[in-house]
Amino acid sequence: MAIIEIHNITKVYNTDQVPVHALNGVDLNIHEGEFTAIVGPSGSGKTTLLNIIGGLDKPASGKVFINQTDMFALSGRKLIDFRLHHIGFVFQAYNLIPVLTAKENVAFILQMQGQPTRQCEERALQLLEAVGLEDKVDKRPAELSGGQQQRVAVARALASKPDFVLADEPTANLDSASTNNLLDMMGSLNEREKITFIFSTHDQRVVERAKRVINLVDGKVESDEHR
Amino acid sequence: MKWLPILSLSWKNIWRSRTRSGVVIIAVTLGTLSGTFITAFFYGMSMQYIKNQLENETSHIQLHLQAYDDDKLPRFFIPAADSVIEVLGSEPYVLSVSSRSVVQGLASSSSNSYGVSIKGIDPEREKTISNIHTHIIDGTYFEGSGRNPVVIGSKLAERLGVGIRSKIVLNFQDVNGNLTAGAFRVNGIFKSFNSTFDENTLFVRFADLNRLLDAPTAVHEIALIVDDFKQADVYAEELQASSSLSIKSWGDVSPTLRYTDSSLDVSLYIFMIIIIVALMFGIVNTMLMAVLERTQEIGMLMAVGVNKIRTFSLILLETFFLTLVGAPVGLFLGWLAITYFGSTGIDLGAFAQGFEMYGMSSMIYPEINPDYFLNVGLMMIVTTLFASVYPSIKALRLNPVEAIRKI
Repeated sequence: MAIIEIHNITKVYNTDQVPVHALNGVDLNIHEGEFTAIVGPSGSGKTTLLNIIGGLDKPASGKVFINQTDMFALSGRKLIDFRLHHIGFVFQAYNLIPVLTAKENVAFILQMQGQPTRQCEERALQLLEAVGLEDKVDKRPAELSGGQQQRVAVARALASKPDFVLADEPTANLDSASTNNLLDMMGSLNEREKITFIFSTHDQRVVERAKRVINLVDGKVESDEHR
Repeated sequence: MKWLPILSLSWKNIWRSRTRSGVVIIAVTLGTLSGTFITAFFYGMSMQYIKNQLENETSHIQLHLQAYDDDKLPRFFIPAADSVIEVLGSEPYVLSVSSRSVVQGLASSSSNSYGVSIKGIDPEREKTISNIHTHIIDGTYFEGSGRNPVVIGSKLAERLGVGIRSKIVLNFQDVNGNLTAGAFRVNGIFKSFNSTFDENTLFVRFADLNRLLDAPTAVHEIALIVDDFKQADVYAEELQASSSLSIKSWGDVSPTLRYTDSSLDVSLYIFMIIIIVALMFGIVNTMLMAVLERTQEIGMLMAVGVNKIRTFSLILLETFFLTLVGAPVGLFLGWLAITYFGSTGIDLGAFAQGFEMYGMSSMIYPEINPDYFLNVGLMMIVTTLFASVYPSIKALRLNPVEAIRKI
């Protein structure tokens, strides 16, 4: 059964009073355990699609169901809470909180969910170990390399045990070695724990690892390849 | 539990830019310190002025014959003053009572004449009402056995060109409306904090003046010192209810003093509010910078599920921490400075002449009502709330999508 069902969504931006159709009737189903890359040229609607799946942006029309919940039928406050509990985010520039350590960055999401401090710390340590950063738990972002920071970001995204993880160009700021390490780690989590990853990317290395590649062109799904 | 990380994050955030936060904290500390100290300085100065006026001239409550209030003629003296004094002395809140015979007259020396207020007093009893005896700068306060001694202000001595043991003649009207005069010898010269008072007031013994007035027991004025001068209005009203005399509190006798007293609190709070508002703009500026340079981070927090109340609280708490680190330190240092200078005093002797023209001492003892510290603390909290609103709203208006797109 699909964990994400996307029904005919459209998105129009009014740029300088000229409407730009970022998404033009996209229909997709994403199942648990998929390792999906959304690719396409700049302006094809990759990030817009990711934002809509993540509940950060609303479509002009169409519906998005996450585990059968109509996401945009939720009120603003419930939608924020839904994101906190059901969706993990990994951003291109890591976006860790600079004043918190790696452990605190990961635990922060759990604390926001109201989990007990000890449990938050234990889970944060487990996740940092899972991403290979057990020796960096007390380091602040400024003391970590780009690749290490992105690993912390992945650990943070996984902290709340989300239904899936959205990663917007996660390797864009990383060198080859860091990219490979990150993809190995994500691939392993996907294999071992059936964590669903959805990437938007230009990076061919990500595309090569993906089990499914959705190609967007002019806001439409041009191809959808399962490997 | 959900609030603890917000609290902890906001505390860590204010130390993100140590210099910037440090500058704001120092500004709040110095603003609070200087505000409270200057307030205490002016409060102390004004209270000294009021107390000087009460102790030298006005006392707390004055009693006269109604007619004397309208026309200060010697014949309008208080009948049976002794029994009035006895009744007044039995009131629990009355600390001391003194009676005076008072006439307006002319003081003449061999070289000059000047219009004066002549007060006939019992020197010993007067000591319980006024502190003129503590301001003697030359001669004595009615000591010695000389006939018709007079104690005059330094300014009057200067104007008349007289010194100790000089002779002056006092001319005035007696109770029968006849002109009378007496020769007095200068026994002491006082210098209070009020040069106008020193210029137009002199003291003689009650018996000496009243002999010339042709009314040995005539009392024109009964002066009281009560336990709390701020309650003088209440006490005067209470006494007035059972008396046909004119009974006036110091505020009625000297409306200028009342105005000084009543407007003091308001003007000092306005002064402090101006300082706090100036600080508020500094805090708003700092917090606005903090929000604008963390657009992406705040956008990320909103994206991953930190709701608006917590985002608002994050900025609010950061503002609070910035203020509430500096304000208590400033208040404490202010209290220390006020306590220290309140006991040693601040000597502004270089400006003594100017101060004395307005009846003020050039030695200032800062003082402040302890409630003031609490009120300033509360004002700082309210100001912080106001100061945090705009930056917090600015943060809430961030669209996570746009904030993340800036990455």
